[in-house]
Amino acid sequence: MAERVFITGVGMITAIGDNVTENLQQLLAQQSGLGYTRYIDTIYKDVLPVGEVKHANESLFQLAGLPPQEGLTRTTLLGLIAMREALEDAGISELNSVPAGFINASTVGGMCDTERVYFDIIDPGKEGSFLQYIDTLDCADCTQRIADIVGFSDHIATISTACSSSANALMFGARMIKQGLYSRMVCGGTEALTRFTLNGFNSLKNVDKQFCRPFDQQRTGLNLGEGAAYLVLESESFAKANNSRILGELSGYCNTNEAFHPTSPSPDGDGAFDAMRKAMEMSGIAREDVSYINVHGTATLNNDISEGKALERLFGTDVPPFSSTKPFTGHTLAAAGAIEAIYALLAIREGLIYPNLNFSEKMEELQITPVTTLMQGVAINHVISNSFGFGGNNASLVISKYEG
Amino acid sequence: MKGKCYIQGMAAISPQPTFEENCFSSPISFSTTNLLPCLEPDYKPFIPANSLRRMSRVLKMGLAASLKCIADSGIKVSGPIVTGTGKGSLQDTEKFLKEIVTYKETALNPTPFIQSTYNSVNGLIALQQKCTAYNNTFVHRGFSFENALLDSMMLLQEGEDHVLTGAFEEITREHFYIKSRIGFWKEEQIDSRELLSHHSPGSVAGEGAAFFMLTNQPTEKSYASITGLKLLYKPATEKLLSALQTFAPAVDAVITGRNGDSRFDHFYDTVEKYFGNTPQIPFKQLCGEYDTASAFGMWLGAHLLRAQELPQAWIGQPIAKPVNRLLLYNHFYGEQHVLIMLERV
Repeated sequence: MAERVFITGVGMITAIGDNVTENLQQLLAQQSGLGYTRYIDTIYKDVLPVGEVKHANESLFQLAGLPPQEGLTRTTLLGLIAMREALEDAGISELNSVPAGFINASTVGGMCDTERVYFDIIDPGKEGSFLQYIDTLDCADCTQRIADIVGFSDHIATISTACSSSANALMFGARMIKQGLYSRMVCGGTEALTRFTLNGFNSLKNVDKQFCRPFDQQRTGLNLGEGAAYLVLESESFAKANNSRILGELSGYCNTNEAFHPTSPSPDGDGAFDAMRKAMEMSGIAREDVSYINVHGTATLNNDISEGKALERLFGTDVPPFSSTKPFTGHTLAAAGAIEAIYALLAIREGLIYPNLNFSEKMEELQITPVTTLMQGVAINHVISNSFGFGGNNASLVISKYEG
Repeated sequence: MKGKCYIQGMAAISPQPTFEENCFSSPISFSTTNLLPCLEPDYKPFIPANSLRRMSRVLKMGLAASLKCIADSGIKVSGPIVTGTGKGSLQDTEKFLKEIVTYKETALNPTPFIQSTYNSVNGLIALQQKCTAYNNTFVHRGFSFENALLDSMMLLQEGEDHVLTGAFEEITREHFYIKSRIGFWKEEQIDSRELLSHHSPGSVAGEGAAFFMLTNQPTEKSYASITGLKLLYKPATEKLLSALQTFAPAVDAVITGRNGDSRFDHFYDTVEKYFGNTPQIPFKQLCGEYDTASAFGMWLGAHLLRAQELPQAWIGQPIAKPVNRLLLYNHFYGEQHVLIMLERV
């Protein structure tokens, strides 16, 4: 019998807060973090809204408890801040007291900093400290920097499956625990805004010039965001022997590929349907047990139709309350799965359902509409958290209340 | 990772003619520029012409290698797909970075952006195979292929019948120059065939795509079994030694990732010394150094286990038969170390 996997610590930084408490406060205040970039060098800085973390890198160094230095990218700093909080929250002072793995997720690694110096790097006529950013071109750089600074010395990995990256990191870590390879894994992702990604999504014509409007008839696209989040996962037997404080259970998960189109989901949401259905099956819950769905809800034309259709197919006329928190944070790509997994835990702990901001008009393709006002005092037992990405990579997680 | 799985099919595109029939009868291909490029096959039998036009180089290499591997395995039903790549499509990343500047962020073609995402090869394989099963991509330098392998072995333990596991990497002129600025390659230009006799800082750049169909059950055409896998992050020598002790009591040969880089040779020396007179089979003189070179090493080892021979010209020495147990040891610039145990079926 495989071990159950418990969540025993969380840490995060997003456009709506530098830690979990601040994020919760802003969610309760229904205060969006969307705005205009102060740090990216782009012609769209006053045109395309983003969910930017409200600190320059110098200030992030301070939050991460480090003196400013070359070679540490914004991706690494965001990750480090979230990681330190997660470890502290789990009460881990000595990381190597038991073997612990680290599964990170990233879509473009240190691109936020390398794109500024790339043309110097490829120019043989130029020398300088920018050369210290050469190694930050890939996705492993941030993982190893974080690992080395906080002291992970065992299994490390980095996953990149676009917008589902950190959901897959959580899944991979949970499976390693169930296989008995480790009793503790720290999993999540980190993402910094870049001109590269902003132009990428803009070239696909799916970035909204207004604040994003998930599941709204008038929606025209997503807003990008940045942030990082990590969750400490422990096996049931270890968590109990260690007397860990248990925040919730990762009770189900599923990764499927839609095999439909490189960047678009199928109109009927086949991949989303399968991912949710199988994650619920693994969790052993029925449709009526689902208290809340934190949808992927990017507000792109295609995602919301596809995800909405999948919800209607799976739940019929009884679709549970659902909302997208992307209007709070922006779409944080590789970090989104982990950020929203923490929001799921907070929903359970605080009895909350978050409002889907900026919604006003029902989509004509759907019968359902998202929750638009903050709901408090709700008994939340099981939350489905969806992350769907490019390449057809779909992931659904079921986060459940720990009953003792 | 304990557990056991079988290599039921495989295919590799590499600087050697590994994609062709009777590849071992060809002379070794080599370079004298410290950059050893793949011998790219004719992709037309695998990929329709209208798709080929749109695809960048590493996408073609990855997709073609995966399709040949599937055909080689004889397995018709698609299952999970798990891959590793350190750098993804460098060509597309470089192109999009430049177009952002050239066109001042306006009217950009999204194709290089889409293809630059690290999971685009996996997405393509799934799309081409209409495969809706589990799909994952690891992007961690010398742990990219290794984590894909670990994921695959776990999937098999969890009850999957078979998993398509692979790795792909490309080197571009531009990236070769970038990495030369931080000492990845030798300063003196060498004949890649003599890589191991040049003890100096750096190695020779390579690239390749290799895919394996891994199964729970053997058949009479299985190439080899994988019976152990261990990843070590920045290990001290003692940690490496203790992994060797628990991991590989007796082997017939060690497939070694030696790459002529004098800065990190001591790890290979440690392993060589530990196994005493056990033959060492190097492979980077054939494929060059890159994040997922160990996948090529595994391809070579699996061939040796099934055929019980490899041409002396390829590996520099005759191998005593029978070869039943091979240990693959590789590290990437001293940071990510891997041990993979391969056995004859």
